[in-house]
Amino acid sequence: MLTFDRYVTAATLDEAFDALDASPGARLVAGATDLLPWAREGRAGDVHLPALVDVGAIPALTAVTAEDGRLRIGAATTIAACERHPLLLRDAGLLARCAVWFADDQIREQATLGGNLVNASPAGDMLPAMLAMNAQVVLARRDGAGTQERAMPLADFITGPGRTRLGANEILVRIDCDAVPGHGGAFEKVGHRRSLVISTVCLAVLARLAPAGGTLADVRIAIGAVGPVPERLGDAEAALRGQRPTPASIREAAELAADRVRSRSRQAYRREVLVNFVERGLVAALAQCGLAVQRLPKETVHA
Amino acid sequence: MPDPSGFDPAQPPTTRIATTVNGRRVARTVPLHYRVIDFVREELKLTGNKEGCGAGECGTCSMFVDGTLIKSCLAPVQKIHGKTVETVDDLDADKGMTVIQRAFHKCGASQCGYCIPGMVMAATATLRKRPEASLDEIKEGLGGNICRCTGYQKILDAVAMARDVLNGARPQADLDEAATDSFIGSRTRRLDAPAKVTGAIKYAADLWMPNMLHMQVLRSPHPHARIQRLDVGEARAMPGVECVLTCDDVPGVDNFGVFIEDQPIMARGVVRYVGEGIAAVVAETADIAREAVKRIRVTYDILPGVFDPVEAMTESAPQLHGFAPGNLCKHTRIRKGDVDAGLRAADLVVQETYRTSALEHAYLEPEAGLAYLEPDGCVTVMSPSQNIPHHRHMLARILGRPINKVRMIMSTVGGGFGGKEDMLYQGMLALAAIRTRRPVRYVFTREESIAASAKRHPFSIDYTMGLTRGGLIVATRMVMVSDGGAYAMSTPGVMNKSAILGPGPYAIPNVWVDAIGVYTNNTPSGAFRAFGAFQSEFATESHLDLCAERLGMDPAQLRRLNLMQDGATTHTRQQLDRVAATACLDAALAAARWDPGVPHREAHGEPARVDLGGPGTRAPCTLGLGTMATDKETT
Repeated sequence: MLTFDRYVTAATLDEAFDALDASPGARLVAGATDLLPWAREGRAGDVHLPALVDVGAIPALTAVTAEDGRLRIGAATTIAACERHPLLLRDAGLLARCAVWFADDQIREQATLGGNLVNASPAGDMLPAMLAMNAQVVLARRDGAGTQERAMPLADFITGPGRTRLGANEILVRIDCDAVPGHGGAFEKVGHRRSLVISTVCLAVLARLAPAGGTLADVRIAIGAVGPVPERLGDAEAALRGQRPTPASIREAAELAADRVRSRSRQAYRREVLVNFVERGLVAALAQCGLAVQRLPKETVHA
Repeated sequence: MPDPSGFDPAQPPTTRIATTVNGRRVARTVPLHYRVIDFVREELKLTGNKEGCGAGECGTCSMFVDGTLIKSCLAPVQKIHGKTVETVDDLDADKGMTVIQRAFHKCGASQCGYCIPGMVMAATATLRKRPEASLDEIKEGLGGNICRCTGYQKILDAVAMARDVLNGARPQADLDEAATDSFIGSRTRRLDAPAKVTGAIKYAADLWMPNMLHMQVLRSPHPHARIQRLDVGEARAMPGVECVLTCDDVPGVDNFGVFIEDQPIMARGVVRYVGEGIAAVVAETADIAREAVKRIRVTYDILPGVFDPVEAMTESAPQLHGFAPGNLCKHTRIRKGDVDAGLRAADLVVQETYRTSALEHAYLEPEAGLAYLEPDGCVTVMSPSQNIPHHRHMLARILGRPINKVRMIMSTVGGGFGGKEDMLYQGMLALAAIRTRRPVRYVFTREESIAASAKRHPFSIDYTMGLTRGGLIVATRMVMVSDGGAYAMSTPGVMNKSAILGPGPYAIPNVWVDAIGVYTNNTPSGAFRAFGAFQSEFATESHLDLCAERLGMDPAQLRRLNLMQDGATTHTRQQLDRVAATACLDAALAAARWDPGVPHREAHGEPARVDLGGPGTRAPCTLGLGTMATDKETT
C-alpha cells in the first residue's frame, strides 16, 4: 500500500517545485499507473512517502509543438494522445504505432510518455520508438527565482534498469525529438497476450528513402526488452544506410541483431524473434515509403 | 508509537474530495491514500465495480472519469476531484438495463459475474468511441479486461449484438428472450444475469454491516518452521485494534479437512508452507489491522523443508505430520488383470514420463467473507464457499458449539473452479465475530489469494503401455506421484479421481494404477476443475499420440479401436449401459475437419496434413486500430 503525508496537484511548474522543496523525498507522479502497483506485496511492499507531487495537470507538461523539424512533447502527454494528437499523428506516426500495443486503452489514457521514460524499464515500449526519433529529455530544476533546464540524449539519460540521470528535485518536463513526417515507421512487440503485457521483445524502425534512386536515406532501428537498457542497432543501420534495400541486405542487417540479446532469460527465443522483428519491421517501414520488398523465405527446420 | 515520518492508520491524513458520481454531487473527507476504487466502494458504498487485482490487470474496476474509461485501482482519489465519475451501478441512469446490459443478459455473457461490471463498462466505452466497431475493434476495446469463466465468446457476441441494436441494424426485440417450447436445446437467459450485468449482486467483499470490523492475517514467510515465540502484545495494544487471534483462542477441536483432518485454522506451533495463517488481527479499519499485523513478533526455529514429493517419501526427509510416515497422504491403487503378462505379450511397449505443474485457479474474485453473531448466539459466516454443509460441520467442531449455532451462507461466488472448496479463512472469521460480538469482514488481496490458497496438484506420471501391432491396448501401467503440499485438503479425492479416470475411456484388459499424494512444504494442492483427471488424462492422451506414431497409425483411429462401447465395464468395475465416446469422437473429428494420417507425416514420407488453418480458425491478434488501418493492404 502506498501512503503519504501530502498530495499536491500542481497547477504550474512553480507549484511543483514548491512542493518538492517543502517535502524532501517527495515523489513525482503523473499517470500513477505504475506507482500504485509498485507499492504492493512482491514489489516494493508498503511504502510511505512524504508527498506525492502530481505534475500530470500542468499545462506546460501536456503541450505538443513543432519547431525547426523537431517536436517538443510535454512529458505528461498521455500515451493515448499519441494515437490522436494531430501533430503527433502527422510528424510522429511511429508513436501511434507503438501506442496501440501499449498496455490497454484504459491505461493509455492515464500513463504518460515521461512516466514511461523515467521508469526506465528495460521493456518500456515507448523507449525504442523515442530512441529511433533521436529523443532528448529536457530536465528542469529550480534555480533561485527561476528554473534552469538541461537536455541530454535519451540514450544517456537511461543508465540501467529503472535507473536514470534524473537529479533530486528535478522534473522531466519535455521530450524533444525529430519530426519524421516522411519516414515509414514500424513497431513490433511480442508478449504472452495482446493487451496488458510486458514485452518479451520490442522493436521500432524508422526508414526514409532518398527522393530518387530508391536508396535508404535514413534508417533507424531500436530494440527493447532484450537487455538492461533499450538501444539502437548502429551496425545494422550503417550497413543499410545509403544502400538500395534488397531482401538479402535486409536479412543480413537483421542477423546483426542476434548478438544484442543480453537478457537474463529465454535468450535463444529472443534472438530468433529479434532477428525476425528487425527484418519484418524494415519491410513494413519500407512498404509505407512505397517500396515493396519481399522477405526472403523462412529457413524452415524440420524436427 | 508511530514513527513521525511514517503512516498512522489510526489517524490517517485525510483529504476533501468533491466530485460528481453517477450524476449526484458528493463531497467527502477520506484518507489521503485512498484510490478512486476505495472512494467509490468503501466511502460511497457503490459496490457494482469490483476489485480483482489492485494492479490494473483485470479491469473489473473500470470506471469513467470525465467520460474516459480508466482503471480505478490505479488512480489516486485526488484524480477525481472536481470531475465526474460514472460507475456501473447507475450506468442505466435508473431507466432499467442499457442496451449493452440487455445484450449481455440475452447472450449469456455472465457466468460468475465478477468481471462483468468491467466488461460492460469497457463495452460501453468501445461503442461510445466507435459505434460501428468491428469485431477486432471490440476485442481490442475489451483487451484490458479479463474474464476467467466464459472464454469471451459470449461477451463478444453480446457487444456485437448491442452494437447492431444501437445502430438499428437489428431490432430491439432481438434483446428479448426467444420464445421456445422447450428449454432443452435452446438458449435461455440466466436468472441471475440482470443482477450481474448491472453490478447489483453482492459478493462477499461488497457486504457491509453497521459497526463492522476488519480482519487481516499474519502469514508465514517460511515453508517449515517451529514457532518458538508469538508475541501479539504490541499489536493488541494499538488503538483501534479490537482483538488478535491465535490458535490459543480456538475453543474446540482445531483440526479440519475435507478428507483428513490435519489442518488448524491458524498455525499451531509449526508453519508448513509460505503463506500459512499464524494470527488474525481484527480492528476498526483494514489499515489499522494491517499495521497491527506488522507489529506481531514471531520467533521462528527454521526447520528443513522438503519440496519434492519423491524426495519427501524417502526415510531421511523431514516429516510434516506425525500421523503420516513417509509423508504419505494418500495412495490409491487400481489392479485389474495381469499387467506384467500383458506387457510381455504386447507387440509394442511404449514408455514415457509426463509432468504437470501447479496451477493457480485465478478466479477473478479474491477470497472474502463476513461473519456476525445473531442475537441468539448463532455465528453466521457469509463467504463464497463451494462446500458450505461440510464447512459448517467442520466449523461447529472447531468452535466447540452445536451445529445449530453455526450458520454458513454461500455468498455469490466470483469464480471458484474448486479453489473455494477447501476451507481457508472461515474459521478465523467466525472466531473473530464470536470474540468481538461485532460483524467482521476479511477481504484478501490478489497477492494473498495466490500465496495462501490451494493449487492444482502437480503430477509426475510414469507411463507404460503395451499394444498389439493392430493398435489394441493390452496393458497400461501408470505410476503417478503428486505433490499434495503442506495439508491434505482435497488430495485423497484428487488421487482417487486421477486413478479412476486416468486410463481413459478405453477398454484395456490389464490395468495397474498407483496414484500417490505426498505431503511437502509447498503450498497445499486442492480441488481444481476435473479433480486430478486433467493430469492423468493429459498423460494418457499424450501417450496415445506417441503410440500412434510408433504404430504408423492415425491417432484418432487408434482411439476409435480402443474406446469402450455400450455395456462396457470400467477399470473400477462400474457397469456402463451406454457409452457415447465413439459418437463424441466422431463429432469432434467432423467439427475439426480432421485429416486422417499418422502424426509427423513428413517424417513418414506422407503429404502434410490439410486440416489446419481452415475456416473458423482464430486469426492472430490484430495490429491495432485507427492509424494502422492503412497497413491492412501492405502487410
